[in-house]
Order: sequence, then C-alpha cells, then structure tokens
Amino acid sequence: MDDAAPLRDIASAPPAAWRRIDLFAIAVRFQSVIGLVLVAIGGVIFSPRRHGIILFLAPDNVANIVRAVSETGIIAVGMTFVIITAGIDLSVGALLSLSSVLTATIMTTAGWGLMPTVLFVVACGALFGAIQGGISTRFRLEPFIVTLAGLQVARGLALVISNNQYINISYGEGPGLAPPVFAILGDRLFNNVVPVATLVFVVVAAIATFVLNFTRFGRYVFAVGGNERAARLSGVPVTLVKVSVYAITGLVSAIAGIVHAGQFNFGSANDGTGYELTAIAAVVIGGTSLFGGAGSMVGTVAGAVMLGALANILQLNNINAALQLLATGAIIVLAAVLQSLVRRREGLGR
Amino acid sequence: MVFATVRTPSALALGVGAFALLAGAASAAPLVKECSKDGKFVIGFSQANNAEPYRQHVNDELTAAAAKVPQFTLQIADGAGNVNTQTSQMDNFITQKVDLILISPFEASPLTPVVARAVKAGIPVIELDRKTVGDPGKDYTAFIGGDNFKIAQEAGKYVANKLLPDGGEVAVLEGLPSSTPAVERLNGFKDGVKANDKIQVVAEQAADWLPDKAQTAFAAMLQAHPNIKAVYASNDMMAAGARLAAKGAGKKDGDIQILGTDGLPGPAGGIRAVAEGEWAATFTYPTGGPQAIDMAKAILLDCAESVPTTVTVPTTAITPDNAKSMMGK
Repeated sequence: MDDAAPLRDIASAPPAAWRRIDLFAIAVRFQSVIGLVLVAIGGVIFSPRRHGIILFLAPDNVANIVRAVSETGIIAVGMTFVIITAGIDLSVGALLSLSSVLTATIMTTAGWGLMPTVLFVVACGALFGAIQGGISTRFRLEPFIVTLAGLQVARGLALVISNNQYINISYGEGPGLAPPVFAILGDRLFNNVVPVATLVFVVVAAIATFVLNFTRFGRYVFAVGGNERAARLSGVPVTLVKVSVYAITGLVSAIAGIVHAGQFNFGSANDGTGYELTAIAAVVIGGTSLFGGAGSMVGTVAGAVMLGALANILQLNNINAALQLLATGAIIVLAAVLQSLVRRREGLGR
Repeated sequence: MVFATVRTPSALALGVGAFALLAGAASAAPLVKECSKDGKFVIGFSQANNAEPYRQHVNDELTAAAAKVPQFTLQIADGAGNVNTQTSQMDNFITQKVDLILISPFEASPLTPVVARAVKAGIPVIELDRKTVGDPGKDYTAFIGGDNFKIAQEAGKYVANKLLPDGGEVAVLEGLPSSTPAVERLNGFKDGVKANDKIQVVAEQAADWLPDKAQTAFAAMLQAHPNIKAVYASNDMMAAGARLAAKGAGKKDGDIQILGTDGLPGPAGGIRAVAEGEWAATFTYPTGGPQAIDMAKAILLDCAESVPTTVTVPTTAITPDNAKSMMGK
C-alpha cells in the first residue's frame, strides 16, 4: 500500500540517509497497525480466562469489539480524507444524531420504505457536508469554525425534528411501522458471528481505501493537503476537492447515523456526542498528519479498532473509565510525537 | 408487597401535610401577600435543559398538572444547559413579578445568587429535582424531588428479594461517573442488594447514561462473567443498550433480569419495555411536577403560612404486574 505524500517525495535527500529514515518512517506509517498488534498482545496477556479459553480472543468478544467501533470507524474513514487536506470536521457526531432522527422519523411517519429513506438521509448528510465545505472555501473560513457551527446546527435540527424525544422505531407492515429488514443492522450474520454494523464499516473502509489510493481524486486529496498552492498551479481543482471531502464526511456520518438507528431501534438528538473526537483520535493514531498531505486509510481502520480493543480489555477486567481516558490520551500523544519525529527527520521541520 | 404502598400518589399526602402545618401555625403570616381562591397567578418554571428527554417529561407533567388549575398560567423557560442563560431567565421572572417560581437549577452554586434575589423580592421559590446551595425554608421556599439513593436501593432490594432470592452474579451500569445521580444510584443499588448475601456484584462500569456505551460495556461483562443473572442500569437508555448486548450474546428476553431507572413513558421509554417483557423492572424517577403544583396551590390559593420544606417523592416500581396499567398514564 502506497499512502505516501507524492509532493513530499520530491524533496531531495541524500540517498544514504534514505535507508535509515525509511525504516523508521515505515514503522511510523504503520504505527497504528503495530499499536493494534501490541494492544492485542496485551489483551491476550491480561485477558480473563475461562476453561483455558482466552476470553479476549473469543469470537463473541472480537465481534463485540468490531461492532462497538463500527460507527466511529465509519466516521473516521471519512475524517481521514478531510484531515489529509489539512482540514477538520467537528460536525460528524451531531450529524450522526440528526441522521438517526431523520431515519427514525421518516420510517415511522412518512412510510417511504427502506431504500428511499436511506438514500434521502445519505443525500442530506452529503449535502450538509458540502454546504460546510462550500462556506469554508468560498469565504476562506477555518473549517474548525464552520464545522463547529455545523455541529450546533445539526444538533439543533435534530432536537427540533425529534421534539426532544427518543423516536422509537417499531417494525412491521403498515403505517407507522418500519420495514422489519431494517432491524438487520443490529444483528449478526454467518452463524451469529459477524455484526452487520461491522460489515457496513468494512465496505465503507474498502471503498474509501480504493478511492484514496487508486483514483485521481485520491491523488488530488493528497496534493491539496501537501501543498495547496502547488496543487492549484498544477491544475488540481482545489475548491472542488475540498468541498468533496466535507461531502464525504457528511455522507459517512449519515451512514453511521442510519446504522445507529438500526442498531438501537431509535433516533435520538442526544447521541453521538463526542464521536468527532473519537474519530479524530483514530485518524491521528492511524498516522494521518493534522498538517495534511500524508495519511493512511489502513492506519485509520487499525487506529479505530485499537481504541475499541483497548476499551474492551479494560472492561473485561472491570477497570474503571478514568483509566480508559488516560490510556487513550497517552496513545494519542505518542502517535503525534512519532509523526513529528518523522517529519523532523525528513527535514520538513513541522 | 412493599411496592403497592409506594405506588399511591404522594400528592395527596403532601396536600394533607400542608394543611396540617397550616392549622398548626395559625399565628404566622401567609407566604405571599396576595393570595386568594379566585386570583390569577403566573408561575414561572426555569428548566435546566429541555434537550434531555427526562426534562421534557418533567415539562409535560408540570404542564398537565398546571392545566388542571384554572387560576394558574405556567411559563416555561429553557436554560439550555447554560447557567448564564438560566440566571437571566430567572432575573426576567423577577422583573416580570411572577407570583411563584419553580426551578431545576442546572448547577447549584452559580444559580444560588439569583434564587436569593427572587426570595428577597418576595417570590416563593420551589426547587425541583436539583437544589441550590443553602437551606430549604430559609434560602428558598422548598425542595421537591426524588432520592436517587433510595430509588436505586429499592431496585437492589427488588433484585435481592424478588428476582434472585437464591442469589447469583449481578452487574451494574453506572451513569456519567462525575455526576451526583450516577454515584448515588450506584451506591444505592449496591446497598440494596446487601439484603441478600448470596448476591455478588461482579462487574460495574460507567456507560455515561448512553445506550451505545452500555451495549459495549455489558457485552464485555457478559464475556467475563457469563453467569450474570441480573443487570442494574442507572437509567432506561442504558437498560435498552444492555438488552441489545444480551441479545448479541444469544440470550432471550428474561434470561437476564434487566432493571432500568427513570420509568419514562412513551414508545422508547422503560414502562413499555417492562410491559412487553423486555426488562424485569424499572424504577421511576418522579418528576415532582404534580407535587409542585399542589404546593403552589397551597401557597397561592390557600394562603398557606408554611409548607413542608423538603418533599421526597417516592419511586414507583414498574414491574410486569403494573406496567400495562401504567402505560396509559
């Protein structure tokens, strides 16, 4: 997998130095994969055992881990595009909540059926994101500010639409009832082993990996983040790329919101709080630079799963939430420090 | 059956109490200057944060109770989870010269000064669910609310005596660890299950009141302790999450006794979940709305000279016995 920043690779360095740096840089590029392996080893060592079975590795437990990270993972996948362009999107958690409310409301009142509902909600999410991207690029505003405002707007809309209530989804045929097939999002397939929510995560991540690494759009995303001026001069449609990445985060947030509604059988204006931070943490741990221009989709996925595995092993041992926060914080700092060391060794100074 | 008595509306008890006190203290002056049976009164309610479903439920109950008293007009202001907003809304009530103020302060100390200003302006202040700093009867007129410790203790006793008389492993899902109700409910439940020494609390995890975190945490608990027979969730939404985790572990409804707290009405609330056999029970966190309106009647219509300064509204246990009949209420 080649996730390198194309423009930075041009930076000339003495060939002798390349070797040494490369080993370290490669290790850091896959830091979250290595981190995931380390957490998994820790999980095996510290796992409670029963009848000689290591509970951490039990299929049910692995299913729990990958199910628990599916919603924030889906969002983190979209967030990776935005962060590679040196942007940020704080509206994703609120947009998840708004999408869950929309899904629940439409299914239980409008009677549109499954596909129209899903398509509509996903389109709304993408539109919401595109509007944020458009405002940010048109008025040259920091995406931090625009998406902070977007967070408030999405949360406010969700509260208005839901009238501050949990919108319950009941299944069946007839008015006010959602199509029973929608409940599959809370189930597991293949002998009750693979959570459907995780399958959605896998599909979204696979498509995103392809788009980022093997399409012209993916190369544009890296180019815009690496050096926006150079990208513009070499004919990259910078504005369009930037608007598109926010449309992508909006779209994946909507998908996550639909998955949320399907898993919990309701839409709620209060859910998804703090998801943006979990997603950003997964992306950063995954080795994507907040300065833009470099990043890895595989790293993001590994980062998201790693956070879930870490929480799981602490929960299996009944260790309280405070330690989970401390551990997550320490890992984020470590990941960022490693990134910074690589940049310094590559002579990029930032 | 201990819960049968708990179910009686305590509004009556409060009314009777108020009148008894009234009779006993005939020499004192009424709490408000202008009180009469046929006056028109404006009651201002300063709500902490409408965005929480429980708070919306409080607003609904309060509105319904106030609508039954033709002399009362209820104004609800939403503090939106912000102490500054709530303070300015309280100041507005004082400027408007409303006849009585109800408040659920978002935080205690920041709202203490504005409550003092209202009392100084001669407006009775009844605090609902949460208190400001100071003493009821002196710094504010009265406090009406549930007792989180006792509610969870009832749940614990219900597990100890009714659900698991032969004992077994039990888990607890805690709310946001830094919040008072989370701590009180955790401790209350653990105190309640002590009634049966064959019960072991094998796992307790914070799930921050959220269904998704509760599902993840309880799934891990079931992995580590497959013999868990009951789980106490400190609110209804975490109970819903726990049920999903139980389903994921291949358990059917009833295999694990799930207990919620809050007992919210509506299709997403705990009462329905008990009625449909998804959970074993949920314990209402009383809003105090009807009790607050009764106290307002005593003060404004009946010219009460004193009212009980602290009213603890008991919880109602929602069990399969009464869940269906509670659905309509």
